[in-house]
Amino acid sequence: MDYVFQFGVVWRDFPALLLGAWLTVKLSALAMALGLLVGVASALAAASRWRLVRALARIYVEAIRNTPFLVQVLFVYLGLPSIGLRLRPDHAALLAMVINLGAYSGEIVRAGIKAVPFGQLEAGTALGLSSWQLFRHVVWLPALRAIFPALGSQFILIMLASSVVSVISAEELTAVADTLVARHFRSFEVYLVVTGMYLAMCLAFQAVFAAIDRALFSRWRTV
Amino acid sequence: MRAPRRWAVALFTFSLLLLLAAPPLAAQTIDEIIKRGKVIVGVNTTTPIFGLAGPDGQPEGYDPDVARLAAKYLGVQVEFVPVTGANRLPFLLTNRVDMVIALFGITPERAQQIWFSIPYATEAAVLVAPASRAVKTVDDLGGLRVGVPRGAMQDLILTPQAAAKKINLMRFDDEATALQALVSGQIDVVGTGLLVNRTLNRNDPGKNYEVKIVLRPLHFGIGIRRGQTELLQWLNTFIYTIKNNGELDAISRKWRQLPLEQLPVF
Repeated sequence: MDYVFQFGVVWRDFPALLLGAWLTVKLSALAMALGLLVGVASALAAASRWRLVRALARIYVEAIRNTPFLVQVLFVYLGLPSIGLRLRPDHAALLAMVINLGAYSGEIVRAGIKAVPFGQLEAGTALGLSSWQLFRHVVWLPALRAIFPALGSQFILIMLASSVVSVISAEELTAVADTLVARHFRSFEVYLVVTGMYLAMCLAFQAVFAAIDRALFSRWRTV
Repeated sequence: MRAPRRWAVALFTFSLLLLLAAPPLAAQTIDEIIKRGKVIVGVNTTTPIFGLAGPDGQPEGYDPDVARLAAKYLGVQVEFVPVTGANRLPFLLTNRVDMVIALFGITPERAQQIWFSIPYATEAAVLVAPASRAVKTVDDLGGLRVGVPRGAMQDLILTPQAAAKKINLMRFDDEATALQALVSGQIDVVGTGLLVNRTLNRNDPGKNYEVKIVLRPLHFGIGIRRGQTELLQWLNTFIYTIKNNGELDAISRKWRQLPLEQLPVF
């Protein structure tokens, strides 16, 4: 192999890469927060007493979990204008990420709710709690605690999946990297640095998750 | 008798998987291509006229036809590998293809990493918009959303002026997505080739897409890895031949509906 590595061009354009990484972080953090809300709503809808609501929740979850994320991104950006909804690339990317994460986290939240022992629910009902109070005081925290690791890895997955939104010209980290590669053709050097940056972002997000885990659930630890 | 048969099936499946998983190993010399009986060519199937996926899934257009002609003169089969504007150079450098025939504009930056044959095709980097959009020069692009294929010549020309002229430059992974964004109204102007508005007007009638600005003429070369002297010499001889025997002119008339222009050499 007679390839000469040239990292100079990568460091020269490092500010552009940082800007791209910042958009990745922003998109991911917002998608995690909003996606969890959608997920909780979808899980509650799946447990609704009305059959129509349950059916709609099922359709949403199955439709999203059984189609590729890339197609969902293209649909939001290029398909929705046909019905008059025109979104900027980063907004379209965020919407697609929230819809996608909502379906996956909805299933995770549903599993968490199911994991709450039936006896606890009965106890809550016996105390005369309304269904919202039951969810708020009996179900929510134990469920969240049970699913927290699964939720964390799903969050990381959506951050990594955000790399495909470069296809609709959202200038996140992978898009910036592709642009640099197209300009200087230093693919090995650029993608190696970008891999390191994704790794750093994953570790940072995981540290945040661990801190949230400690803050929320430390009183649950066995004494 | 059952167990051995199951083993055989497993072994067969496994070797099939290996066969599918093994990356195509590009040839390093012209003799290797001939010995293998197959030339592996990277083509772009998202660039109307020059390269598109045909009804049977096989690439068709100006570039694939040049590739088929090259294979004919080499006396080998042709295997197509789809590439995009952004990944065609890495595909070449990582030995996934023997050569790239994919609207590869000749630039000194690119020539630092790969070698180009003499030009086999000409085009122009242009900006296309619906007739209703009042754009005459690059200065009129301020505040407009201009979509370009990432890393293409239009991107390289507009990027240095985008900030100063307040052009909202948006880079798409390939030309097809950029064109689709124009049709969807997600961008106002698209950077593409001279002949693409014909395809646009056929597929999205009523908007009357027209070429607004010609940024510069372009010539395309066949890209190969650096240092492949023999292959370069053969390709230049091949292009010289088809330029002069009418075969390239036939390809040009078939896909561009234009006779072949005078192409520069270097």
